[in-house]
Amino acid sequence: MIETQFLAKESVQTGSPHQRRALSHSRNLPQLIVAVQEIATSVMHGVHGRRRAGTGETFWQFRPFVMGEATGAIDWRRSARDDRIYVREREWESAHTVWLWIDRSPSMAYISSLALTSKIDRALVLGLALADLLVRGGERVGLLGLTRPLAARNIVERFGECLMDDEQRRTDAPDELPNVEPLPARAQVVLLGDFLSPAAEVAAKIAHLSSRGARGHVVMIADPVEESFPFEGHAEFYDADGSARFRVGEAASFRDAYVARLAAHRDEIRHACDAHGWSFTIHRTDKPATEALLALRMRFENSDRGGAC
Amino acid sequence: MLGLPLAFSSPFVLMALVGLPALWYVLRVTPPRPQNIAFPPLRLILDLRPQDETAARTPWWLLALRLALAAFIIVAMAGPVWNPLPASNAGQGPLLVVMDDGWPSAPTWERRVAAAHERIQSASLAGRVSALVLLSENGREIVASDGARMIERLRALKPVPYVADRAVLLQAIRRYVSANHPSDIVWIADGLEFGATRDFTARNFAQGLADVAATTATKIQVLTLDRTPLAIARADNSSGALDVTLVRADTQGRATGRVRALDLKGQRMAAANFDFGTKLDAHALIDLPLELRNEVARLDIEDEQSAGAVSLLDERWKRRRVGLVSGETTDTAQPLLAASYYLTKALAPFADVREMRPGQTNGQTTPIESVLGDGVSVMVLADVGTVTGVAHDKLAAFVEEGGVLVRFAGGRLAASVDDLVPVRLRRGGRVLGGSLSWESPKQLAPFEKDSPFFGLAVPDEVSVTRQVLAEPDAGLRAKTWATLVDGTPLVTAEQRGKGLVVLVHVTADTTWSNLPLSGLFVDMLRRVVAMSHDPAAIVSDGAMSDTSETPVREGALVPTRTLDGFGALGAPPVTATSIAANFDGPVSADHPPGFYGPADAPKALNTLQPDERLKLMDLKGLSLNVEKMTNAEPKDMRAALISLAVVLMVLDALATLWLSGGLRFKARHMTASLLVFAALGLSVPDCVRAAEAPALNARDLDAVLHTHLAYVMTGDAQVDEASKLGLAALSRAIAARTSLNPGEPNGVDPARDELSFYPIIYWPIVTGRPQPPAQAVTRLSNFMKQGGTVLFDTRDALTAREGSVTPEAQWLRRLLADVDVPELEIVPRDHVVTKTFYLIDTFVGRTTNGQTWIEALPPAPLDAGPRPARAGDSVSPIIITSNDLAAAWAVNRNGAPLYPLSPGGNRQREMALRGGINFVIYTLTGNYKADQVHVRDLLERLAH
Repeated sequence: MIETQFLAKESVQTGSPHQRRALSHSRNLPQLIVAVQEIATSVMHGVHGRRRAGTGETFWQFRPFVMGEATGAIDWRRSARDDRIYVREREWESAHTVWLWIDRSPSMAYISSLALTSKIDRALVLGLALADLLVRGGERVGLLGLTRPLAARNIVERFGECLMDDEQRRTDAPDELPNVEPLPARAQVVLLGDFLSPAAEVAAKIAHLSSRGARGHVVMIADPVEESFPFEGHAEFYDADGSARFRVGEAASFRDAYVARLAAHRDEIRHACDAHGWSFTIHRTDKPATEALLALRMRFENSDRGGAC
Repeated sequence: MLGLPLAFSSPFVLMALVGLPALWYVLRVTPPRPQNIAFPPLRLILDLRPQDETAARTPWWLLALRLALAAFIIVAMAGPVWNPLPASNAGQGPLLVVMDDGWPSAPTWERRVAAAHERIQSASLAGRVSALVLLSENGREIVASDGARMIERLRALKPVPYVADRAVLLQAIRRYVSANHPSDIVWIADGLEFGATRDFTARNFAQGLADVAATTATKIQVLTLDRTPLAIARADNSSGALDVTLVRADTQGRATGRVRALDLKGQRMAAANFDFGTKLDAHALIDLPLELRNEVARLDIEDEQSAGAVSLLDERWKRRRVGLVSGETTDTAQPLLAASYYLTKALAPFADVREMRPGQTNGQTTPIESVLGDGVSVMVLADVGTVTGVAHDKLAAFVEEGGVLVRFAGGRLAASVDDLVPVRLRRGGRVLGGSLSWESPKQLAPFEKDSPFFGLAVPDEVSVTRQVLAEPDAGLRAKTWATLVDGTPLVTAEQRGKGLVVLVHVTADTTWSNLPLSGLFVDMLRRVVAMSHDPAAIVSDGAMSDTSETPVREGALVPTRTLDGFGALGAPPVTATSIAANFDGPVSADHPPGFYGPADAPKALNTLQPDERLKLMDLKGLSLNVEKMTNAEPKDMRAALISLAVVLMVLDALATLWLSGGLRFKARHMTASLLVFAALGLSVPDCVRAAEAPALNARDLDAVLHTHLAYVMTGDAQVDEASKLGLAALSRAIAARTSLNPGEPNGVDPARDELSFYPIIYWPIVTGRPQPPAQAVTRLSNFMKQGGTVLFDTRDALTAREGSVTPEAQWLRRLLADVDVPELEIVPRDHVVTKTFYLIDTFVGRTTNGQTWIEALPPAPLDAGPRPARAGDSVSPIIITSNDLAAAWAVNRNGAPLYPLSPGGNRQREMALRGGINFVIYTLTGNYKADQVHVRDLLERLAH
């Protein structure tokens, strides 16, 4: 018999016991971070080597001083070596800004006996690993609605602290969809979640986010149980927040109807993504996280190339 | 029911089984609770109003489980009985239950009573009166009565220890049937023919019943049990063991078991197995020493409660010890023709013979004395003429105390005789049939009635050619047991005190007569030996019975304790009467089996005759309705069914829980706890396994191979360190100065360690420590018993005061309270321990004023003159000193002494070491040095 459960309450509900929640997250986070870094390095070395030398954090080049420039930009040490006056140019900081959003709504805290991890764990691992990967690749990554874009080496820890802080301060349940202003044109957004909200809402949110030209990637994380519906017999289903209960005499007879509904739901979201040039990926928690990360990375490179075109 | 031995006490409850289909329907539409499934994408299908919300059916196996549960409870309520008693077929008229109540019924008495009870009860339910008659009632008038009264009577019944005559019973039944007919008769038979010693067998009885049935409208049913009894037919106290003969009636049923031997007080002495195999008789040999075998008063078969399974033994079964002294010289030229050979052969079947030849004694005692010292009850002197001196006095005392003295004539006796003969003898004797005599050899006359030999057949071929003659004194005839045909006495006897003196007027070999060659010789000796338990009773049989206090007829023995039907000894019933001394059965109501006569020498009367065999009742060819009661006991199955139903209930609860998902995360824990239970269940037999002997560790093995000194670890670190270093220094000194090379000293704990590897153990006394456990004291005691020496050091020489006991000494006294300590003395100057290696005066340690105590030597022989060294036979198991030896020996790694001495000085330290070496060599060599002192004398003697 397949066992399904929502994770313990303190990791699902945003309620009064903030302290315990923080503790539980801080308990989980080091393991997650280790997983994240393992996954990120394996992907980095797995695809290709870095062709560009250095990341140009500060120094880019010396160039001759042009009249009218601010004198503070002159590099006097270099200028003293000959008659010219040089200006030290910094790296051209036009790196992509990637915004990351991780769904932490109650329905994410779900695991069945067929899955490797819960959906929320997989989303966090994927998101943080992607952030690490991107930062090493020279991008700046921000958590949508929580941080500004950062390019710190310890991005995983920073994000972890940030998420924990948010968990502690939050009094209501986390949103099921990002609730922010439209993003600027050159930004990219990665949405990680289960997207079980009505498809119309999801489509509207994608349209809203991309209204200024931002492009994005939707990764839909699903438990294998949610795809195959392997239930039989007399059963009573209940929702994440416990609001809805659904009793059926023979669960197996619902399988076809459910699978059809799910396919339709996913199709709608896929259409909404396609309409705005976003990518759409489905990831199941019984697959390893590297698989999804690799796919995401490919999409990033493709979209970079596409952007360049 | 359906061919199964199953019946119900209230079968109408089974009607409820009809309701099971209804239950099935109800259960089927009442499914268990649904399983709860967490499912986040529920919103996607919430609007799908289920097409099929009718609840799923209850799974078929759950349905079956619950139906079985209900069925079990219903069946249990109906009162099922496995192996029910056979139901009595309804008859008419009064019911007569005939019960065999002899001892063969006793082992199955409960079931017989139950069967009778059931018959009477069902008859009384049917409104019929019933009657009950027992075999032992001897044809009492049979009266029918109501069932309740009969059942009350039935409860009080007990089997009797004999089998009564069936003929009188048949008469009573005939009278009864003629008065009440039609009627039913149920005969609960014991299944044995029991006709071997009776004219009227069980088959005759059955034939009589069948005739009664034929002539009147009577229905007869015979109930037999398939279990027939086992019995003990006889017991023989043969030369090697007590040989018990067991019999049974048929080859079916119990074939093996044990025979117990008990003494007069009911204490179990021994047991032996028997195995019938496929035969009808079996033997069990109870192997006991002769003295114990003679104590056996009762044999019975274990788990067979009947009088037949008990055999009582009296004096006749005792095997006696017969002393035999021959007057012949030691170097008999023809041993196979010697008198002692004939006597030994004749006595051996029923007695243990102690023969003593003159040369076999150690010279200080005569053969007669040494044989008497062996505790014989019969003394046979073959041609011993005059017994004189101490031997005579002892022999006379032996006879006075109840012994039997049997003398055989011969050349020496004919020449001179002492007073230990029953009659005055003429010198010389009488020769018949010789060349100078015109008389022919004489034959024996038949034995007279008051002779102990009465009843023995006199063979014609026995003849006497020579004999010693008795003076024809008054009373000679009363003393005569056997005569020749011309009336001259051949065997005379006289009572002396409690004992008996018997004289056979011929030799025990064939020179004077051929009596020793005949079987009569053996039988006569058997009778004589049998008298040895109570010679007075036999001799006084006729003459002295008037002194008897009991007002019974002459020679009668009153019953003292008799067996009941179950084989238990108890007070005799009022019907029991006395038996004659030679009464040997068969047992009856008048003479139940048991002990008769005086309590100190009772006569046993047994249920079965020695040669009796059990025979199965044969009812073939008779028109009787025979039914066999099965061996199986009726068994109420209610409890089993209810417990099964409870188990099913638990299963049902678990299944329901599982179906609704309640067991989900506990499954692993459940498995674990089940495993724990299983492990507990399996581990129980392990607990009772005997504790294994502790294995020897490496140190013990080393201690076996090399000699080590050892000290007891007291638990006081400083003292233990001093002991260790001290013994180490002593070991080095021994290795350097002697040929002994001891290993490193070992610290031992007497409670745990094996001590027997060490010749000497040093035990410093520390008062602060608790006394060692009792186990340690036992080990210590064993160590000392096995030849080890313990050197106790109280270390209190400085604090000891005259007349007061130091705490150390008190501690040591408590320790030794449970140890067998020999008498001690202060080491004398000439004790061998002062000379074993060094010649020293005292044993000093850190102090010099303490005394050393050692096992006291036997006092020096006064005549031996001064000897330089004395020693006992063994090494003293204990040496007690107070001078703190180990601390005086102890040195550190550099060889510097660790503890100051009092008064001090290197010489004292050296003397302490020398004392230690002497102790060790003493324990290893014992009294060797005490013998060494004679070497010079020995060498001088050899030189000359």
